[in-house]
Amino acid sequence: MSYFRVNENCNGCLACVESCPSCALSFIDQDGSRTLKHNMTKCARCGQCWRVCPQAAIEFRHLLVARWDEVITLDLIQCRVCGEPLYSPAYRQKVESTLDTTQEALCPKHRQTRAASMWPHSLPGMARQSLK
Amino acid sequence: MIVGDLKPIEEIVSMIKGYTQVLILGCGSCVTVCLSGGEREAEQLGRELARIRHYQSAAPKFIVDSILRQCERDLVIEYQNIPAGTDALLSLACGAGVQTLADAFEPLPVIPALNTTFLGASDKAGIWTEKCKGCGDCILINTGGICPIARCAKSLFNGPCGGSKEGYCEVGKYAPCAWAQIVARLKKMNKLHLYEKIHSPKNWKPGGAAGPRKRVRTGLGEGNSIKLKEGPLLIGDS
Repeated sequence: MSYFRVNENCNGCLACVESCPSCALSFIDQDGSRTLKHNMTKCARCGQCWRVCPQAAIEFRHLLVARWDEVITLDLIQCRVCGEPLYSPAYRQKVESTLDTTQEALCPKHRQTRAASMWPHSLPGMARQSLK
Repeated sequence: MIVGDLKPIEEIVSMIKGYTQVLILGCGSCVTVCLSGGEREAEQLGRELARIRHYQSAAPKFIVDSILRQCERDLVIEYQNIPAGTDALLSLACGAGVQTLADAFEPLPVIPALNTTFLGASDKAGIWTEKCKGCGDCILINTGGICPIARCAKSLFNGPCGGSKEGYCEVGKYAPCAWAQIVARLKKMNKLHLYEKIHSPKNWKPGGAAGPRKRVRTGLGEGNSIKLKEGPLLIGDS
């Protein structure tokens, strides 16, 4: 569904196309019908089309309240203790190669707990915790 | 938003004469919205400038293009293609865009096609009026949302001058008296006591009196490495 939406009042007069300062509206007449086209990158959301439309057909609110488009989906590595999502395998690879180290799959809290558990004498009340 | 007006065609012609290939570059942001320098205006300008009646010898070759924003140097360098053989750019952006292009593509000359005029807003379709002078120390809380710096011809801080007549400024009936508007607004808001508050002379450093201003946002790119104390213009900087 496009961001630029018109209601049933649109009669294809092309006043919006003529008035668009960004040339973000266009049309194609083909096979006996007219298709109105909108270019979201060029659109400045200036509202000139909405002002000029003699049919009040443009539902400008759809340009103002945007929907979210999916860009990319990546698998995630999770904390091996609590399952909190951490990073993608590619991200881990980047961190490991940049820092020249290996990363254990632990969230900040469990990374800290694990680090503290290595030196139980530094935290008198703390028993060594098993993270297995 | 930034508002500008296209320069007279004769002035533009006089600036581009002598070049062989000119890239006309529209800007897709503020100047598009005020219908001065967008893609459509760039194309119209290209058609007008190509007319041989403007020239005694050969007209330059014109290539017309447009970019969403001309004021981001790294984006412009990365994404704006300058066709081979171009010996000048004619920019329809505001002054910020023109200068960004000049910095990005030096020593290629960048010619301004617009006169950048003011920071304004559109109260009615097709009409943009000046609202803000970018003084860097906003007092709109005290004036009911009407700026005396931008909208009073004298930028007075404590009420109208003796030239205010019937709600208009002495410069002409095209200019409402900002202080008449402010008082009317404060009355509607039941905040006339703000009118009686005396404002002392303004420190204009945040407004540009100490040189070009800068905004540095730490944590982004080079914002991290710039020392905040260098240069003027954080509010309250002395």
